[in-house]
Amino acid sequence: MAEYSVDIVNITKRFGNLEAVKGVNLKIKHGEIFGILGPNGAGKTTTLNMVLGLLVPSSGHITVEGYDSVKHPEKVKQMIGFMTQETVVESYLTARDNLRIFARLYHVPTAEIEESVNRALAEADLVDFADKPAGTFSGGMQRRLNLVKSMIQEPRVLILDEPTTGLDIQSRVNMWSEIRRLNKKGITIILTTQYLEEADALCDRIAIIDHGKVSAIGTAAELKKIVAKGRVLSVSAAHDDVPALRKLLGTVLGSESAEKDGRIEVQISDRPLYQLRKAAEAIEKAGIDVHEISIRLPTLDDVFIKLTGASFRDTTVEQQSSLTRLRAGV
Amino acid sequence: MGLIQDSMTIYKREMLLFQSNLRTNLIRSMIFPLIILIFFGSLGSSITGIPVAVANYANNPSSVQFINSLEANKVVSVTSLTNQETGLGMLHSGTVEAVLVILPSFPRSSNGSPSVYLYYSGSEFSQAGAVLSAIASSAAAFGANVGSSAEQAGLVKTVSTQGTGSNYRDFLVASVILMAVAFGAVFGGGMSIIIDRQLGNIKAFLITPINKKAILIGKLLSGTLQSIIYGILAIIIGLVLGAKIAMGLLGIPYILAMLALTGMAFSGITLLLGSRIKRIEVYTIGAQSFVMPAWFLSGAFFPTSSFPPILQPFSTYDPLTYATNGIRSVMLNGFFPISSMITDFGVMIIFTAVAVIASFILFKNTIE
Repeated sequence: MAEYSVDIVNITKRFGNLEAVKGVNLKIKHGEIFGILGPNGAGKTTTLNMVLGLLVPSSGHITVEGYDSVKHPEKVKQMIGFMTQETVVESYLTARDNLRIFARLYHVPTAEIEESVNRALAEADLVDFADKPAGTFSGGMQRRLNLVKSMIQEPRVLILDEPTTGLDIQSRVNMWSEIRRLNKKGITIILTTQYLEEADALCDRIAIIDHGKVSAIGTAAELKKIVAKGRVLSVSAAHDDVPALRKLLGTVLGSESAEKDGRIEVQISDRPLYQLRKAAEAIEKAGIDVHEISIRLPTLDDVFIKLTGASFRDTTVEQQSSLTRLRAGV
Repeated sequence: MGLIQDSMTIYKREMLLFQSNLRTNLIRSMIFPLIILIFFGSLGSSITGIPVAVANYANNPSSVQFINSLEANKVVSVTSLTNQETGLGMLHSGTVEAVLVILPSFPRSSNGSPSVYLYYSGSEFSQAGAVLSAIASSAAAFGANVGSSAEQAGLVKTVSTQGTGSNYRDFLVASVILMAVAFGAVFGGGMSIIIDRQLGNIKAFLITPINKKAILIGKLLSGTLQSIIYGILAIIIGLVLGAKIAMGLLGIPYILAMLALTGMAFSGITLLLGSRIKRIEVYTIGAQSFVMPAWFLSGAFFPTSSFPPILQPFSTYDPLTYATNGIRSVMLNGFFPISSMITDFGVMIIFTAVAVIASFILFKNTIE
């Protein structure tokens, strides 16, 4: 057995003059749930596309369960199941036909196709709906069908691209328990997510990717230690006052601040109560009316902000989105 | 598993999708043939008593008999006996649809040039076909040639004698069949790849260990088969509406072969377009601006010989011209010179080969 389930060694990817991925190294262990976080355009999707064999790295190499992604793309593709954030099921076709097509595409031996399809239907709890068009299914049912479809060839690694984006709380919790269940069966899981609480709750280890590089890697607890020395000062105020307040806090506390949902958050490294008093006095002097002022322990969100300089849901880096317009070489 | 199995997997998937949407697909493919054949096709066949002015300069017993025989024919109604100038005036004012000029040499001119001339308005092309065929068949009894004059440019048109002896609907059927095939490929071929890309299916295919070329081959095969189905449907519509295949059962394999070549060529071209164009709107513009002119220039509504000189070369280099010509020979004349068959098939085989090879070279599995 290979030492790592997925071993990404110093990969880069260039699109013309743009370097989307600049030397990413990730060693993902067998049976791990590994989270990849990063702002839009950070290089997450490009990295995953290289693991999936949709793109060939400009340099570096990737091995999946011991197989090199460039030398043995078929083997690597057999090892990996992939579920996209869009729910890709053929809505006009029955659940059974959806699964059959993918069993054939994954070269499941003809004699075993029906068995694989029935097993997948049972696993997705869709046996009673097997011969109904997938388009008539609820969102949760489609998502379940999509998941078993991505795993019809029984992969060792499952890649989930934002598996819970757009799901209601109930479905999200169900998806989490499904992911944990699959992981217990020994499947290595790599997921990207927009929800830091999801990474916090689900992932054994997390990598934060920004500007095409890994800026931090570790367990949630390890990552929090990056900012754990200090506290976070959080102030909310009327919308009109926010810019002035942000400027004021920046001058008084001398550290970087971020704005999120009408709330200003400042990382403070030491003497939190003293800093709070200093901030409160300055605000009072400036005559700005605040709704709330508090200090709290940092979260994964704060790690993210500290490392990437952007709030997670901030999409200012969209100029790079053209990079995701990929062409898989013919 | 090799390329063939992978291609068949994609092909089967495409056909499953086609079947799951069968009613919509078939109805969509039937709309245009039905509209064109019913609305345009009936113009030439059901209209009787088209007013025609006659200028008889021969004034011999044969010519009088000829005019009588024309009147006996229900298609044409001879409304007045006049001179050529008055007749053309009536044509301009719309009182008559055509002017028949019988030359003094009727029924037979010494040098073999036509002894009967027909002037008719270019805007009434469908009636003109009926008039011409009625007059030609009557004149043939007297051994006379019918010529149609290009004088009075703009108003008067010449029509080739192809289609003589049949009505305009029969003339249209061949081109309508090919239209169903070519437009079927626009939907079954290129459109499917854009939709699959937008839904994320192309990405889903590419992460599986299939041969990438299988996507193109599977879709090329399914696009071709779907086009043939649309073409057969158009033939049935034509036959139900009264068209005939003059060659009989023997003509059917010939027509099907032409449909298969046309369907495969257009599937290849539209797949190539679809693989390189991101938006459905842009693809539709691209595909329409290719398919529509190719169809019109093939002599869909008018015989290619009636085209203005500026369009003639386009028509000559339009592969669909040869497919139309081939099918029309089979359906209208019931025979064709072997050289024409070789030309028609040769052009279509080369065209299809070029289209398919181009699609193999230039096809891109673009994901987003």
